[in-house]
Amino acid sequence: MPSEQHSLEAILSQYAQNRDSLIPLLQDIQEQFQYLAPEAIAAVAAHLNLSENDVYGVATFYAQFRFVPPGLHHIRVCEGTACHVRGSDRILESISRSTGIAPGQTSEDGKFSLERVACFGSCALAPVVVVDDKVYGRMTAPKTQKLIEEKK
Amino acid sequence: MGSISLTIDGRSVEVEEGTTVLEAARKAGIAIPTICAHKDLNPYGACRICVVEIKGVRGYPTSCTTPATEGMQVTTQSEPLRELRNRTLELMFSGHPNSCLVCVHREACEQYRPTATKAARSTRCGFCANRDECDLREMALKAGSNELHLPTLYASYNLERDDPFMDRDYNLCVLCGRCWRICEKIHGQPAISIINRGKWARIGTAFDKSHVFSGCTFCGACIDICPTGTLTDRFARWQGKPEQEITSTCQLCPEGCSVVAQVKEGRLLAYTMTEFSQEAGLCALGRFGAAQILANANRLTRPLVREGEDLIPMDWQGTLEVTASQLAQHRGKIAVVASASTSREDRYLYGQLASQLGGQLITLAVNAGAEDSQISSLMQSVEKGAITAVIVGGNLVPLELVTRLKCSVIIDALPSPVSEAANIVLPAAILSEAGGTFRNAHCRIKPMAGCSRAPGDARPEWHILCSLGQALNLRSFEHTSVAGITPAIVNDPPPEPIPGNPRQNVRELATRFRGHLLADILPSLGAFGLPATPKTAVTEPTGAGFTITEKKEIAPNMHFFKVVAPQVAKFAQPGQFVILMAKETSERSPFTLVDWDAKAGTISLVIEEVGRSSRELASLAAGETMAHVSGPLGLPLAIENKGTVVLGGGCYGIGAIYPLARALRQAGNRVICAIEASSSYLLYMQDTLAEVCDELIIATKDGSEGVRGGIQEVIAQVADREPVNQFIAIGCTFMMRMATAVSKELAIPTLVALNPIMVDGTGMCGACRVTIGEDTKFACVDGPIFDGHAIDWDELASRRSAYARQEVQALSQQVDLTALMHQAQGNGCSCGR
Repeated sequence: MPSEQHSLEAILSQYAQNRDSLIPLLQDIQEQFQYLAPEAIAAVAAHLNLSENDVYGVATFYAQFRFVPPGLHHIRVCEGTACHVRGSDRILESISRSTGIAPGQTSEDGKFSLERVACFGSCALAPVVVVDDKVYGRMTAPKTQKLIEEKK
Repeated sequence: MGSISLTIDGRSVEVEEGTTVLEAARKAGIAIPTICAHKDLNPYGACRICVVEIKGVRGYPTSCTTPATEGMQVTTQSEPLRELRNRTLELMFSGHPNSCLVCVHREACEQYRPTATKAARSTRCGFCANRDECDLREMALKAGSNELHLPTLYASYNLERDDPFMDRDYNLCVLCGRCWRICEKIHGQPAISIINRGKWARIGTAFDKSHVFSGCTFCGACIDICPTGTLTDRFARWQGKPEQEITSTCQLCPEGCSVVAQVKEGRLLAYTMTEFSQEAGLCALGRFGAAQILANANRLTRPLVREGEDLIPMDWQGTLEVTASQLAQHRGKIAVVASASTSREDRYLYGQLASQLGGQLITLAVNAGAEDSQISSLMQSVEKGAITAVIVGGNLVPLELVTRLKCSVIIDALPSPVSEAANIVLPAAILSEAGGTFRNAHCRIKPMAGCSRAPGDARPEWHILCSLGQALNLRSFEHTSVAGITPAIVNDPPPEPIPGNPRQNVRELATRFRGHLLADILPSLGAFGLPATPKTAVTEPTGAGFTITEKKEIAPNMHFFKVVAPQVAKFAQPGQFVILMAKETSERSPFTLVDWDAKAGTISLVIEEVGRSSRELASLAAGETMAHVSGPLGLPLAIENKGTVVLGGGCYGIGAIYPLARALRQAGNRVICAIEASSSYLLYMQDTLAEVCDELIIATKDGSEGVRGGIQEVIAQVADREPVNQFIAIGCTFMMRMATAVSKELAIPTLVALNPIMVDGTGMCGACRVTIGEDTKFACVDGPIFDGHAIDWDELASRRSAYARQEVQALSQQVDLTALMHQAQGNGCSCGR
């Protein structure tokens, strides 16, 4: 898409061509495009004179970066300590099963994407699921199933 | 820089400022164990094995990253340090196959199985190509502990076999980071990096691209620096540790890089870098190609002389006489054509030959072939009758030139249409098989070591040319060594450089060697876009084949197959086997029937991937066909009610005991199934087996599940608590040997299913000959089940390993090995762990 190409170049041109720019640049691109496409990684690598593998290595270290476009509904499941002890594992598993995707993936129909998050700071409501920035507290597997059915 | 002094283990050491504690200790001759540290890499501090105590410093700093300072007092050996190092090692082994290190049978196993099994996945030291060179194994054995307090986590990463030269198994990786660090050091922009984090951190490429597209130059440095068996050279992988390392020069292109030739048993395993630096970098062709060119199965090995339609092998003496007498008739009308990828001595002699015979010398650039302008003008001279004979050092002239001439002598290492049409073919020793000197495109003269053996009667070109010169009564061809020729060379020009930089881009590798397209010799080079002669489509004789309806890797290396073979399914009985061929060109190999369904017309098999034939079979997917399934073969087990029967299965034997258990139980026996594996993640079919026996006993060598040990421990334990009327063992020779020794002592009647090398499976070839007591039997028609107490195990083991070297060579042969590999699907094997 030419317009995207153009804006990718526009973002790149704002950053100095050295390694220090790497993370802010990746963040900026993700904000613009919602994810880091292979072409974006390649363009960043070329701009900063780094290898694509190196850029990808850095990006995959951070939980904040995505490598597939997010779905229509972005589901985030908290795996923080409080949520974990109250069974967030089972919630994540149930979402995975009903959407057919693993954390970090987007469903084939583009409806859902799933993300594992360390903590939302809503530990009192544990376990917590956030769908499209709306927080659902005290979740159970059946409740999440219902929620997904509604969004389908 | 000033020098500083410090004390290490009470010894005072003087070092330059900026030296690390580790380097200082090494200087003082004090060994501190490390994994991630390497003399050619910057300090990294990943493995934490090199921890030391420093007076006045809190904790246990890593010596590789700590600079030495004046007056520092360092302790490298203490009880807390030993404890820390062992714990760190244990953590590493938690994610690295370790069962051989803790196995109670290790010594016996190493005695009876001196070489590692060439498995696809290295699930233990005994299955690992790097066993004899592994830093990790050495360290663990030195630590002496055979107890691991942590569970083994097998990551189940896919094997990466999708590029022409490397096999990568990241299930063995301990993340020392040596590979990507050396890649970055040599290439600036690394082709690999650590991707993901935490538990899922591993070495990889951006978006898991194949190395063919990740910017990898295939210099092989990562393989050579890897301390484990993670990264391997597919060709050299199972050939073992090199016996000699000799500095030499690669002559595959005009760059003429310095190399270290790794040689074993007279064979070149690889050319490697002289040091881990950018300047010493090699291209894919030098690093991986040279050894594979030399090992090519089509090498010319005998002098050939034309008799009418045929080229007849002849001895050197006779061939040279014929050659000289033929050439003598063409004096003044002879052209000599040589390639620039020959040594200076060879080219000098070609020149001498041309001038003394009154002919012309044509030297072709490395990438030039028959279409070169010098060759076109030669063709014109031939047409005019000015040239009536040629001496050609390679595949350097068009076929029609040779067919037009009465006298054509080809000196080459590999066959070509030209050599097949020639009058005389002289087999040449090449590359590391011939010594001499090489002038590279940068005008430097470099020595080439003749350090590997040429196949058959092939001789170095200088030797051939000297003999030929002498047979023609020419002057100054009386050399007995290549070194005697060197001083005679004056003013030889450097070869023309090739365009591009093959060390930085695999798509710029030299395209030809002695006129042969390199991608014809090494088809896998096609992956880099190197040109090859278009192949006339080889149509495999297509029988209907046998359709695979189900295929799954049920445990690492263990492939479950369900195949449509109605005739086999109709007549199969417990204990019988089939002989399979993956393709029409495959070898025949026997596999025990695990199950069959006469009604559906299907048979089930468990195939362990441990060699070329099983790899070909394992690479087949559901929906595809096997070329041949013949069977059922062998004598079935006599099913009688004996009372209590113990069935012991290991490796493929876990599947193989299934039909026996079912039949024996139906006959009224109390059936106890015992299965063994190195570690719990290698077990399979537990539930299926449990359904057909009264009791299932599991044994693992590392104690991760069930009894710690193997079938031999289980049979002893069972016999201890109840009478056993019959014991049957199926698995590797080692397991059966050990288990039968125990059952003999306990006087339990024992049967084993033997697995010698088998060819036809019908009693004709005799390859499967085994000695049972006083008798010679054929396992295929008299067995495969025999009395376990009467077997000559030493003979069986030696006959089974008779073709070990050929098996290794077959595994690494170029033929479509890469093409055979399907991109595995999903996350590793489907063992579900």
